[in-house]
Amino acid sequence: MSHRHSILCILPPYMLEQIAQRGTSGQRQTAARSIAASQQIRNKRRGLSLATFRGALHARMAATTLKQRAVYSANFSTQLPGTLLRGEGDDPVSDPAVNEAYNGCGDTYDVFSTAFGRNSIDNNGLKLISTVHYDKGYDNAFWDGEQMIYGDGDEDRPSTERLFNRFTVSLDIIGHELTHGVTQYEANLDYNNQSGALNEAISDIFGSLVKQYKLGQTAAEANWIIGDGLFTANVKGVGIRSLKAPGTAYNDFVLGSDPQPAHMRDYVTTIEDNGGVHINSGIVNHAFYIMAAELGGFAWQKAGMIWYTALTEKLTSGSNFQNAANLTYEAAAQIFGANSLEQKAVKNGWSQVGISITGIGSEEPTPTPIPDPIPVPPVSVPEQGQGCMTVLMRAFGLRK
Amino acid sequence: MMQIIFERTGGIMGRKVSVSLDLDEMPSDQSTTLRRLVDESDLFTLDEEPIKTSRPDEFIYTITITTKTIQQTVRASDTSLPESLRPLLNELLTHTG
Ligand SMILES: [Zn+2]
Repeated sequence: MSHRHSILCILPPYMLEQIAQRGTSGQRQTAARSIAASQQIRNKRRGLSLATFRGALHARMAATTLKQRAVYSANFSTQLPGTLLRGEGDDPVSDPAVNEAYNGCGDTYDVFSTAFGRNSIDNNGLKLISTVHYDKGYDNAFWDGEQMIYGDGDEDRPSTERLFNRFTVSLDIIGHELTHGVTQYEANLDYNNQSGALNEAISDIFGSLVKQYKLGQTAAEANWIIGDGLFTANVKGVGIRSLKAPGTAYNDFVLGSDPQPAHMRDYVTTIEDNGGVHINSGIVNHAFYIMAAELGGFAWQKAGMIWYTALTEKLTSGSNFQNAANLTYEAAAQIFGANSLEQKAVKNGWSQVGISITGIGSEEPTPTPIPDPIPVPPVSVPEQGQGCMTVLMRAFGLRK
Repeated sequence: MMQIIFERTGGIMGRKVSVSLDLDEMPSDQSTTLRRLVDESDLFTLDEEPIKTSRPDEFIYTITITTKTIQQTVRASDTSLPESLRPLLNELLTHTG
């Protein structure tokens, strides 16, 4: 491992990008993380805009594609996967649900690939399978362990009574479902109680990031709504959840009101919904939002990278909120350095929802002044067990 | 007598819908349909909890039926649902608010 890391470390940025795109899974992830950390250093040094950097990266990413998609229709039955209507590279079809599922999977794939160096759900090019038109009057979308499934809402009711549009209408919902697949292959968080609510929050977080990425929105510009466009005009609500203001997404005569808490003091203890996984996720969602808003810019670059690292390297199936707080704090130190602005933002986010970081590394160390300007880093070979980031940060003088 | 308590939880919204029905108090066309669907569902022969672990965002259904002689509760989810139960579930959903 250390050998592979040392190779990545001495490569120039454009090579890192190539690896982020074409390397083995371990190489891709390390390279993507190096890009995230080093681009801000370079930007500071040379005054390059993030947009310029990203533009170049996107152009390169667009040149090759590894994604494989297939969209089926269940024809309003519950038979899976159903009839294949659009495969990878096929032209758009006349059915908007099919095209939405196809494009939404593509957008989600692209975010995970470009921002985090991940190749699909399993990081090994797994085919992205979706089924639309599932059942009649099925007002839901889910991940069944192998594929994404979408209902058409309450298409069986007269339009004056309809509450839901088809579920593929929201890109953040497609991102949410696909992310359940990623979580299954990584931390595999148990789908009940706090670990289940973490599982849900991770899907909301990355689902929202997919939409922000697609729209080119910064944390300040994003609406942080899940289920954007899902409700018909008959519903008083903007979506099913809000990461920015949990508990405010809807308040409707038929649907009731958004039950999400935004703070541990309002944590809901229940046996329904696997222990309130879709309710208490609001607390974690909000901690992420606070961190991302504090850091500013594109939320997938720093906040997203911190959580991606926690999801893929640190969280385990039984992790609870406290573990997630500690481990995202640890991930922030790993990527951006101990006591970095990023690590402080993680701590502040959790603290504002009522969770304090505990354990080693939680005490405030003496701040290390960051030297500026930063000289060109000397090449160094990591010792056994050291990650590329450690070496990189050290080389740039950001870490002892 | 026959009473049915039906509940659906989970789903990506996590919103619960439920209904409690006393078939003796319902219009006869509705109760006749329900009695037929209960019969056809083989509900009394099903395991009480066929769900092992539920999949992310799928619905979880709970039906409790009480008659003079028997009470039976069945829990199932979209991916673990016996096909025989679907018509009854769909009918019960039309009675929820
Ligand atoms: Zn979910």
